[in-house]
Amino acid sequence: MTLSEIANGKLAPRTGIKLENISKSYGNHVVIDDVSLDVEPGTVTALIGPSGAGKSTFLRCINLLERPDSGTIRVAGHTIEPGKVINAKDLAALRSTVGMVFQSFNLFPHMSALKNISFPQQKVLGRSKEEADERALQLLERVGLKDKANQHPGRCSGGQQQRIAIARALALDPSIMLFDEPTSALDPEVGLEVLAVMRELADDGMTMIVVTHEMQFARDVSDTLVVMADCKIIEQGDPKAIMSDPQEARTRRFLRAVLER
Amino acid sequence: MNWLIEWAAYLPQLMSGLGVSLMIAGVSILAGYPLGLVLSVMVGAKNLAVRTLGLAVVEIGRGAPALVILYLFYYGLPKFGIAFESITAACLALSWNAAAYSSEIMRAGLQSVARGQHEASAALGLSWSHTFFRVIMPQGMRSAIPGLMGVAIQMFQGTSLAYAIAVPELMKSAYNIGSQDFNYLQIFTLAGICYAAISMPATWITVYFEKRMARHA
Repeated sequence: MTLSEIANGKLAPRTGIKLENISKSYGNHVVIDDVSLDVEPGTVTALIGPSGAGKSTFLRCINLLERPDSGTIRVAGHTIEPGKVINAKDLAALRSTVGMVFQSFNLFPHMSALKNISFPQQKVLGRSKEEADERALQLLERVGLKDKANQHPGRCSGGQQQRIAIARALALDPSIMLFDEPTSALDPEVGLEVLAVMRELADDGMTMIVVTHEMQFARDVSDTLVVMADCKIIEQGDPKAIMSDPQEARTRRFLRAVLER
Repeated sequence: MNWLIEWAAYLPQLMSGLGVSLMIAGVSILAGYPLGLVLSVMVGAKNLAVRTLGLAVVEIGRGAPALVILYLFYYGLPKFGIAFESITAACLALSWNAAAYSSEIMRAGLQSVARGQHEASAALGLSWSHTFFRVIMPQGMRSAIPGLMGVAIQMFQGTSLAYAIAVPELMKSAYNIGSQDFNYLQIFTLAGICYAAISMPATWITVYFEKRMARHA
């Protein structure tokens, strides 16, 4: 079975997401300036750009961890306008459709790996403990960590923790996965284990939006490359095309900096 | 030698007082900690009215000496037709005290939980109550344990104030015994030993927990 088949039980309908005119500022400080992004079902979008460009904030706007000041989010038949009051039903639908993986893993340190993955299923989806545990074990096995089921996160390496975090998000059957610099806190070698799991997910057809500095991953795995700078999307399109022939001077400068490192 | 013989004679009477002291301390902790948890959430609430109410209860409980609150409950409230038995008044006043002090310790503990824990819970779609009771509280309370044990010791020693409203606790028992034959020195020394016999081991346990936490932090 593939990762997403395990995650979804049966294959869930693939979902895309449309973000229209998203803006966000803290006081007078603009962080996202009228950004729109259309993500097709089953595609991988890599979001790159210099730090401070607003990539992570934009990603966090997608599942409303940050509340945009204005704009529209269309996902799975729901239309959410964050500038207005969001009803609980829409928020729940959004969060259940969209899974997220963080740079700092954010596993629950007082729970075993198994419980980290099993507990949200029971509370959010109302699954029985047996069902949730079984699903958790399947996912742990798939990310190569079945033997860590009863360990607490503190006893796992960073790469292992991140793979557990991916399993935790997948266990809730998301149709879209957000990754916020998932390998930035990891040693390069350890990051590879995490990237391997992500490649597999992408191969399975999971819709993914990945904020990353891993240029090779962005080039080889993503279908769309989005370059953000100064709170806006400055360029987007085929990753290989942009990397070999960037149209914008700002993109060129950024790519030179990361590729010639 | 004489003292030991006298102490042995006084001890049974004193023990009933110690029992009352422990009971009042126990009640004020059992009532005060849950109330303290509620207050710690109220003080952090977004709603201004809820936050103000929480802050008022905490600041009065911490700002006013326990004896003043004790007197207010026992001598003050009857003015509004609310009269308590002395022991009830002592339990209520010290519960407030325990709630106010423990709420600040719990709030510090809850705030020490990493922001990412809230974010991960939100991203997973966990409800407020599941996030609070299953994710945040277990982590926040861990770091609050030593402080809360300190408050418990403070509460136990604070029960001696109930002497002032004639609660038959340890101090009152000691005073009664002393006034019979004016052996105040012996009896109050024994009373001090009784307080220390409870407080000191409790302090050691607290220190042990603090060290353990520091090691696992």
